[in-house]
Amino acid sequence: MIHFLQTLISGLSLGSIYALIALGYTMVYGIAKMLNFAHGDIIMVGAYAAIVAVFQMKLPGLVAVLAAVLVCTVLGVTVEFLAYKPLRQSPPLTVLITAIGVSYFLQNIALLIFGSEQMASPVIMKLPALVIGGVQIDGITWGTLAVTCIIMLGLTLFINKTKMGKAMRAVSEDKGAAELMGISVNKTITITFAIGSALAAIASIFYGSAYVYIRPTTGAMPGIKAFTAAVFGGIGSIPGAMLGGILLGVIEQFAKAYISTLWSDAIVFGVLVVVLIVKPTGLLGKKISEKV
Amino acid sequence: MAETMLKVEGINVYYGKIHALKDVSFEVNTGEIVALIGANGAGKSTTLKTVSGMMHPKSGSIHFMGEDITHTESYRLLPKGLAHVPEGRRVFLQMTVQENLEMGAYIQKKISDEDLENVYKHFPRLKERRKQIAGTLSGGEQQMLAMGRAMMSHPRIVMLDEPSMGLAPILVDQIFDIVRELHAAGTTVLLVEQNASKALALADRAYVLETGRITLAGTGAELMSSEQVKKAYLGG
Ligand SMILES: Nc1ncnc2c1ncn2[C@@H]1O[C@H](COP(=O)(O)OP(=O)(O)OP(=O)(O)O)[C@@H](O)[C@H]1O
Ligand SMILES: [Mg+2]
Repeated sequence: MIHFLQTLISGLSLGSIYALIALGYTMVYGIAKMLNFAHGDIIMVGAYAAIVAVFQMKLPGLVAVLAAVLVCTVLGVTVEFLAYKPLRQSPPLTVLITAIGVSYFLQNIALLIFGSEQMASPVIMKLPALVIGGVQIDGITWGTLAVTCIIMLGLTLFINKTKMGKAMRAVSEDKGAAELMGISVNKTITITFAIGSALAAIASIFYGSAYVYIRPTTGAMPGIKAFTAAVFGGIGSIPGAMLGGILLGVIEQFAKAYISTLWSDAIVFGVLVVVLIVKPTGLLGKKISEKV
Repeated sequence: MAETMLKVEGINVYYGKIHALKDVSFEVNTGEIVALIGANGAGKSTTLKTVSGMMHPKSGSIHFMGEDITHTESYRLLPKGLAHVPEGRRVFLQMTVQENLEMGAYIQKKISDEDLENVYKHFPRLKERRKQIAGTLSGGEQQMLAMGRAMMSHPRIVMLDEPSMGLAPILVDQIFDIVRELHAAGTTVLLVEQNASKALALADRAYVLETGRITLAGTGAELMSSEQVKKAYLGG
């Protein structure tokens, strides 16, 4: 029983990291109708930013987090401006290939700067372990869960209650009509990339704390899993990304604990395939109304 | 002679190779109701989309309040006072009625309760349904919402693209009443309609669009008695 609960909690924690990353995929998809395959690499950049901030610039932990958020946000917005904005009228395949190109570009820049050797991540949050009813929860595990829950709550409020959040929903539904309301679609897309990249930066801190070692290709695996989570929950849906991410993390940890470490990823993707066969739009996905 | 609010001069608009508008020129003076009538595919919606910046002409010019807006981005036009209620309503189906109205007031610093109440006064049905998702409204209610949404920004001119499309006769009358009220409250109106008799009866002036060209212009009364219009649009 204790083992079960421990697995569940570590699954929730890992899943909440996936959820943070999945939110970036799903929001960008919802607003800009594109799959930003370079999103995973933003995590890698955030992790390196934290390494540089803590180990080379000797900045305190919290400042390093802010630095990582700043670097990722600026990077995300810049990539959007330089690589994707000129392709606004291009076919989706062109944009997709560009995103893959951006992904390789970022990985190779990291390779040039940091080399291919893995580097250790700083431990930013030093929290005491909690013991509840015999279940021991690491500081990083509950810390991750707590912070991501607050962020997701904040994001939900932002999207549903604020003027900007509502404008984002309007743009995701109908760009032309949103522009007729005086909403700048370009500005909204920029803000979406900024938010998605900032969330990825925070995810990168937790990911670095949990997995410790960072290399230029670090972003690929959490990236692809978070993308899976976004599709799993229903791409374009914000609650869907949260749910999909958390479920994915839980399934992964249970598969590792009870079935096989080797097969856990295969099981995760297997579940995705089954869900998509049963419900092609994902768990919370809306019917896609084809309208161009 | 009233001043010209909207002046469209010789615009040519294309969808790829399709030449949808050919040298279209017309104008709308402050305080007028101007109707644009024409058969399906004549280019009425294209005209409105080009004025509101959703499309841009290859040649020709568009001036609004004396300012050249030929290539102005769509989202910059509502703040200047030019509102467009597009074909097919285009309300935000996944947002509530009230949120749709709030989007109508996006350019305002604060959403004024007075404006909301004003829309609800015109459309009491929307008030009852203000927490409802717009996608669950009937077609007529969605049309009311689209018009209410446009009212929220207090435009100088509102361009309405077939506001009566698909509505029961009683609702059509109601929509035309609202257009009249908007106009009485000082809004200039550019109206695109299939329902030519009603539109011409309401309009100060009107233009007839045929396969991308303006072929007739005159006062509403003149066009109503024109043989050409009678034959083509008034059923005899
Ligand atoms: N998105 C588009 N792509 C290609 N051609 C288009 C597009 N939209 C309109 N057209 C063409 O442009 C012409 C004018 O269309 P428009 O929609 O302006 O007509 P309309 O007068 O509004 O007709 P209706 O009364 O049916 O709404 C038509 O020939 C139409 O086929
Ligand atoms: Mg039309």
